Amino acid sequence: MAAKKPLLIIALLLALAGGFYLYINIIFPPVRCEAAKHPEAPEQYADCLECHLKVTPATAQNWRESKHGVLLVKCVVCHGLPDGKGSVPFAAKPGVQDICVRCHEPAMKQMVEKYGAELECDSCHPHHQNPMHRRAFEAKKPSKTSF
Amino acid sequence: MAVSRREFLKGSAAAVALSALGAPVLAATGSAGPDKWVKGVCRYCGTGCGVLIGVKGDKAVAIKGDPNNHNEGKLCQKGALLIPAVVYAKDRITDPMIRKGGKKSPLEKVSWEEALDFAAKHFRETIQKDGPQAVAYYGSGQALTEESYLANKIWKAGLRSNNVDGNPRLCMASAVAGYLTSFGKDEPMGTYNDIDNATCFFIIGSNTSEAHPILFDRIARRKESSPDVKIIVADPRRTNTARIADMHVPFKPGTDLALLNGMANVIFREELDNTRFIDRYTAFKKGTGEAASLEEYKAFVAEYTPEKVQEISGIPAADVVKIAKLFAESTAAVSLWCMGINQRSKGVWANNLIHNLHLITGQIGRPGATPLSLTGQPNACGGVRDTGCLAHLLPAGRMVENEQHRNQMEDFWGVPRGTIQPKMGLHTVALFENMVQGNVKALFIHCTNPAHTLPHLNKYTPALEKAFVAQTECFMDAETLKYADVVFPAAFWCETDGVYGCTERRYALTEQAIPPLGNSRPVIQVLMDFAKRVGVDPKLMPYKNAADIWEEWRKLSKGSPYDFFGITRNRLKKESGIKWPCPTEDHPGTNLRYVRGEDPLVPKDHPDRIFFYGSPNGKATIWLRPHQPPFEPADAEYPFVLTTGRVIDQWHTATMTGKVPELHRAYPSAFVEINPDDAQKLGVKNGDQVVLETRRDKMTFPARITDTCMPGLVFCPFFDKAKLVNRLFHDAVDAASKEPEYKICSTKVYKQA
Ligand code: SF4
Repeated sequence: MAAKKPLLIIALLLALAGGFYLYINIIFPPVRCEAAKHPEAPEQYADCLECHLKVTPATAQNWRESKHGVLLVKCVVCHGLPDGKGSVPFAAKPGVQDICVRCHEPAMKQMVEKYGAELECDSCHPHHQNPMHRRAFEAKKPSKTSF
Repeated sequence: MAVSRREFLKGSAAAVALSALGAPVLAATGSAGPDKWVKGVCRYCGTGCGVLIGVKGDKAVAIKGDPNNHNEGKLCQKGALLIPAVVYAKDRITDPMIRKGGKKSPLEKVSWEEALDFAAKHFRETIQKDGPQAVAYYGSGQALTEESYLANKIWKAGLRSNNVDGNPRLCMASAVAGYLTSFGKDEPMGTYNDIDNATCFFIIGSNTSEAHPILFDRIARRKESSPDVKIIVADPRRTNTARIADMHVPFKPGTDLALLNGMANVIFREELDNTRFIDRYTAFKKGTGEAASLEEYKAFVAEYTPEKVQEISGIPAADVVKIAKLFAESTAAVSLWCMGINQRSKGVWANNLIHNLHLITGQIGRPGATPLSLTGQPNACGGVRDTGCLAHLLPAGRMVENEQHRNQMEDFWGVPRGTIQPKMGLHTVALFENMVQGNVKALFIHCTNPAHTLPHLNKYTPALEKAFVAQTECFMDAETLKYADVVFPAAFWCETDGVYGCTERRYALTEQAIPPLGNSRPVIQVLMDFAKRVGVDPKLMPYKNAADIWEEWRKLSKGSPYDFFGITRNRLKKESGIKWPCPTEDHPGTNLRYVRGEDPLVPKDHPDRIFFYGSPNGKATIWLRPHQPPFEPADAEYPFVLTTGRVIDQWHTATMTGKVPELHRAYPSAFVEINPDDAQKLGVKNGDQVVLETRRDKMTFPARITDTCMPGLVFCPFFDKAKLVNRLFHDAVDAASKEPEYKICSTKVYKQA
């Protein structure tokens, strides 16, 4: 009888943890992007900018002004599609080793050689805030971008 | 980066759950990587980025940029998403198909034997009845070099028909004729390295940002390296390319010839010409081909005063002066152009006028100073232009109508003299016209989709209804399949091996990474099996594989102005692309063509630093070409100009990019861009259905109100098969290059009732 008690506690804990996991998943569904709220237009899931200019204007503007924005490396290229139907997994924070590496492997190798450790690229080169023109365009305010 | 509440809760819940089970917390995409990486070239654009294809077992599972190629590991979204969505698209064609009961009957799956026999029988009978001129090959700047070389040989030497043309006629023919007439030989003298050294970029008729994204990245990086680097973008549309420009110069569509002559005028007036260079390396010619003098040329361009250019093009006179000065005063200027210049009824002239600017200023033959024509497709340069796979050409710069050239090819190919027909074949538009008329009765289409891409489609699709059509294709949604009598399933890209040659004279090999899907076969196999059945002597095709064909082509190039004898298959396997001329195996490849000490074809002891050996007098030609309006400018009845082009996410007819959800959903369907001022006048709001009505047809598109287009101009992308915008276009071609004017036609624009 006494031997069964710890097992029971483990089972109970497991059930609790599982329940908690399920609960969180139901309450906070994995696809929360605005685009997913437009099931009538799934064809436009890749046109993130249009909605994100309204719902997350700072992020959208930052992207637009960043190197990725100038080069038209669009949201879905790194973040995937909100319904997960593309080849890139949908992620708010794309993995360095899965996503960044696809284009920046040579630079990443250099960084490892230089600093000896694998770092999160984002800590020094924020993806959305790395301006293309650096000093070259500093004088030209306001932004060249218009929507 | 802040973690959202949901992520935190979910993360901790997962951690609790998993740690409770005693399992490690796995990464979301923790599958093991590929077994090996196979080197190749991107399937899409003329930038020609190197790729590495990740293979696991016999499946392609990943793709990344080749760090050793010019793209230094980078790919744009099209290249980066080639695998798996495109390679394993659900509608890949994996079995041969034929229509047993004529065009109206369905395509039925059959064996290879049956399909090949069926196609060959029709071609054989057509040749017997109507002669070899009744059969034609319509190829592609996306075909492999080995395929184009082989098809050209089969047709011109085997079947004795010069009706060999292809989609490069629709995109690069004017650039070819431009280089030929200005320098004597085709292909640019510069390379992408010039981008890293230029201090002035003159980009005209190119939306580099969307059509050549990785080159645009390189230009942007150059700009970023120094504020002194100036970028001029001359384009009636304010495209994304203009975002990095110091000057965006919109002008009335079709008036760029006036601008280019006007720039030349300013250069002389401001004494920014390079007299020493002009004297030593150039000759002048009138449009008639007659020789002219520098003085005559100066007097000719003197007519194009900045004020006159303003009147014609709408560019402020002060800006004409400014652009000309920026160009000529810079230490190294590179010009980049693409379809905006080539797809024009005066496309060759426009090409000549760009070359003129470089020749009068000496902005050529130095790092960063070069006229660099951007090529649209990945293998129009190497595969089609160099192998001579067009109606008027023979390999390595030879011409069909030159007897000596024909004899050289006949001797090399081991066929009797007189085998190759002395008259050039039919260029694309004439070919389809002859099909409509019933003169050409059987067509072999490889790797292209003419039912979607020809101009004036209503006029030319009947050609495909009338003629017998054999077609190689990978994807079931290609529009042309509707007209195909026989469909050969082609091995796709990394399922076979072959060479691509990109914009910068760089030849690079895609090695076979995986076996062909289903019953599909490499096209060289298909071509040879087909040709043998039609009656071509098997001795003409003694090849076991693509490498054998490359070997023959490499030997043929030896000693020619296209010499790449040093680019062996083995080298291509080891190196990530090599730029010709490259006459010996130890030669590293050439960056500055025509320059002594750089180009191995210029004798080391040549008295001059530059030697334009392509032309008989060793000099480049400066042409006196007047401004001419487009074939169909806007008028009172059709007051708008319609232009077409690409968007970054879709490639050509979207048979590939349409399979990639990330790309397709960015641009699921065609639209029309309208300037806000025009939209207001027309009472059109974003998303409204707008009718474009031209003299050929009318179509409806949803409106996108944007200041990308200048007032008076509307733009439609051409990728959408549900909206074949080419139905609206005329079929006027450049007199010399025979390239159609896809960039300008007049149209009415109104809101759908
Ligand atoms: S720029 Fe062109 S060649 Fe390079 S990855 Fe993109 S589509 Fe492919």
